[in-house]
Amino acid sequence: MSQAEAASASRELEARFEAEALPLLQGLYSAAFRLTRNAADAEDLVQETFLRAYRGFHQFEPGTNLKAWLYRILTNTFINSYRKKQREPQTDSLDETEDWYLFSRMAERGTEPSAETSVIESLPDEDVQDALSSLPEQFRIAVLLADVEGFSYKEIAEITGVPIGTVMSRLHRGRKALEKRLWDVVRERGLVKD
Amino acid sequence: MSKISCEEVLVEIEDFLHGELDPPRAVQLADHLVTCLPCFERAEFQRKLKEIVRSKCHSEAPDHLVWRVRMAIRTEHAGGGTEEPT
Repeated sequence: MSQAEAASASRELEARFEAEALPLLQGLYSAAFRLTRNAADAEDLVQETFLRAYRGFHQFEPGTNLKAWLYRILTNTFINSYRKKQREPQTDSLDETEDWYLFSRMAERGTEPSAETSVIESLPDEDVQDALSSLPEQFRIAVLLADVEGFSYKEIAEITGVPIGTVMSRLHRGRKALEKRLWDVVRERGLVKD
Repeated sequence: MSKISCEEVLVEIEDFLHGELDPPRAVQLADHLVTCLPCFERAEFQRKLKEIVRSKCHSEAPDHLVWRVRMAIRTEHAGGGTEEPT
């Protein structure tokens, strides 16, 4: 390849990257915010993710899952740099929470089934975001990727590099823990009577 | 078609709501939910909760971020280009 051809290919790669990857910035920022818990770090994490992705884009196979690839870079970058910076204690454990935790708590209070989720809906967005962000990292990442970003179990296994059974277990336990935290918030806010 | 118990439905409901069940199994669960009110109420609760978490956990990226990332990529691109004679 001549130098002119190489330069042209490089420009083409940059244009393709901007056209295909940049539209995914919105979702990546949201995820970055839930991971880092603050706007400034989220912006830095997104920029770092895009730069790493751009550097590796020539190895990316066109037609494969670009979104999952970018989220893998995002979660890896977060785990490798931001987590250390934030000195987040690494917890692999979660208290056991019973199945149907939130549903049962609501039912105990005689809430009409149709009205049960409206209490959660009335919470400020920040409360729900904080509840998710407070989950231990591996559970937070699993719930974030599945229930906020809408990835399939198989995609989450690819993004996080763990077997699908582990993804399912983290999701199940993470969702229950999230329900418990939401219930705590609902009670703190006095939205249900003790 | 074989019957499916409430217990089985409730164990698999998360996977069902996430679209992770094989289509024949998903049909079995859906059929059960049509006729079983207690299971339906639980399924609806989980479905709505999931939707609330999704919509509330979305944060809008600031406008300048796209610009900032684009500039970083262009700078990176130009940096790589310095190896080429001009």
